[in-house]
Amino acid sequence: MFSISKEYAPPFEMITPFFKIGVLFYLAGVIFLLFLDPGSSYSDMNIIGWTHWFLLGFIMMIIFGAMAQLVPVVVEVGHFSVDLYLVIWPLLMAGTIIMSTGFIFLPAVLPYGGLLVLTAMIIFLYDTSMTLRRVEHISLTVKTVAVANLFLLSGIVTGFVMSLAIGEGIGVDVNKWLGVHAVLVLGGYVTLTIMGLSLILLPMFGLSHGFDETPINRAFKLMIAGVLGYFFSSLFGISWGNILFLLVMFASVSFYLQQIIIIYKTRARKENDIWAKSMFFGYGSLFFALILGILWLFIDAQKLLLGSAWFLIMGFFTFLINGHLYKIIPFLVWFKRYSPLVGKERVPMLHEMYPKREAEYEFIFSAAGVTIAGMGILFGSATLFKAGVSFLIIGAGFMFYSVAWMINYGKNKE
Amino acid sequence: MCNITKEQVYEAISTVIDPEVGFNLVEMGLIYDAIIEESCNIRVVMTLSTRGCPLHQMITQWVREAVERLEGVGVVEVDVVWEPAWNISMADDNVKAALGGGTAMW
Repeated sequence: MFSISKEYAPPFEMITPFFKIGVLFYLAGVIFLLFLDPGSSYSDMNIIGWTHWFLLGFIMMIIFGAMAQLVPVVVEVGHFSVDLYLVIWPLLMAGTIIMSTGFIFLPAVLPYGGLLVLTAMIIFLYDTSMTLRRVEHISLTVKTVAVANLFLLSGIVTGFVMSLAIGEGIGVDVNKWLGVHAVLVLGGYVTLTIMGLSLILLPMFGLSHGFDETPINRAFKLMIAGVLGYFFSSLFGISWGNILFLLVMFASVSFYLQQIIIIYKTRARKENDIWAKSMFFGYGSLFFALILGILWLFIDAQKLLLGSAWFLIMGFFTFLINGHLYKIIPFLVWFKRYSPLVGKERVPMLHEMYPKREAEYEFIFSAAGVTIAGMGILFGSATLFKAGVSFLIIGAGFMFYSVAWMINYGKNKE
Repeated sequence: MCNITKEQVYEAISTVIDPEVGFNLVEMGLIYDAIIEESCNIRVVMTLSTRGCPLHQMITQWVREAVERLEGVGVVEVDVVWEPAWNISMADDNVKAALGGGTAMW
């Protein structure tokens, strides 16, 4: 059995920039929401610029930082070269800023930002794929991680080609490939990765054991089939195929939710701490996004699509990430500053290493913000949307404070 | 003839606390056995609450160090096993009560 030792665990200083920068992008991203019109089309350049800011600067930045820590835990081998993570965050940060600027103000710079993001992701994929080659026990989770990385590669190459089309005018039908890009990245990478990680993390933190894993196995297979089917349907221009494979992806999410319920039913640890509350809200949002997504297939209303995307990104992805930051950052801090002191002096428990009151405020304001702004999108009310965004900004402020508090905990021990 | 008892070994290991849940390994039910040879070499058989535990190696090191502090002890080995798999029913009642008990659902 492989385990993380100090030799394999990525250095604290290498990982914390991902979390610090990710939360800064989050805070700035929710502030930028004030300047967006919730009635815009999904292909509006301001919406696309904001989406890339948020998904690359916050979601992907945090996922990459977390993967530096979690890849060895999930696949049970050490990184091929963890030092590569030193160059990933500066490239991703610069590329995201340039790309978002390109979408909103200056399309000519878009390919340059795209190239930086592409480079950052190829470095990440290189380390991950070389790490996977060392795995001896090929479990379903390992296979899923491998497939998710292939989808990410396809998704970012598609995105880069589109950035060339917008910035340099090369002849590619952007509207046709926008859906493929979104499905490859959001369904093929982000959702599959979250499915894989949550199968490890939820039982670990909830102390769930001996549960049936049939639903998650179905979810993995259906998501892979759905993403591949959508890709080929788009490639050959089969519009009914796109709808069919979106339904397959929705079925995958349904099985995933079933698996989550099974894990929660068997959990031994029932305290409703900030992590558990964030998971409840996140999975509730995923369920709501799923309903809206299914409705959109039958009632072609822009509001339903935007509403589904809102609850998926701001409700599900964001709450799952923020909730886990209250677990991952204290662990990293504890591992660096307190593990050498075990047996020599009293060391804090992990639950003492986050600011409980501020974390609670973060949850309340963010949950209220997502719900109110989401209703604003669905009812077409810009006032309601901006009221919700105001709550979100306050919540993001508390998140920023909490992350700084956690990272600085026990700094005098160094 | 070795004078170290199994109770002493368990007591030594009970100083090792899982920082995530805040309970010691003995009350968590993670220590399956402590085999004491006549030469006072000791083999601790234990498990962890999850296979993906990122503290795996450190916890086994803390257990070894805790047992090595016993007077007259020989070589200490720690074996981590996955069968039988740990579940909450193996924990002490105070742990079950603090965590929320058994397998009830919310």
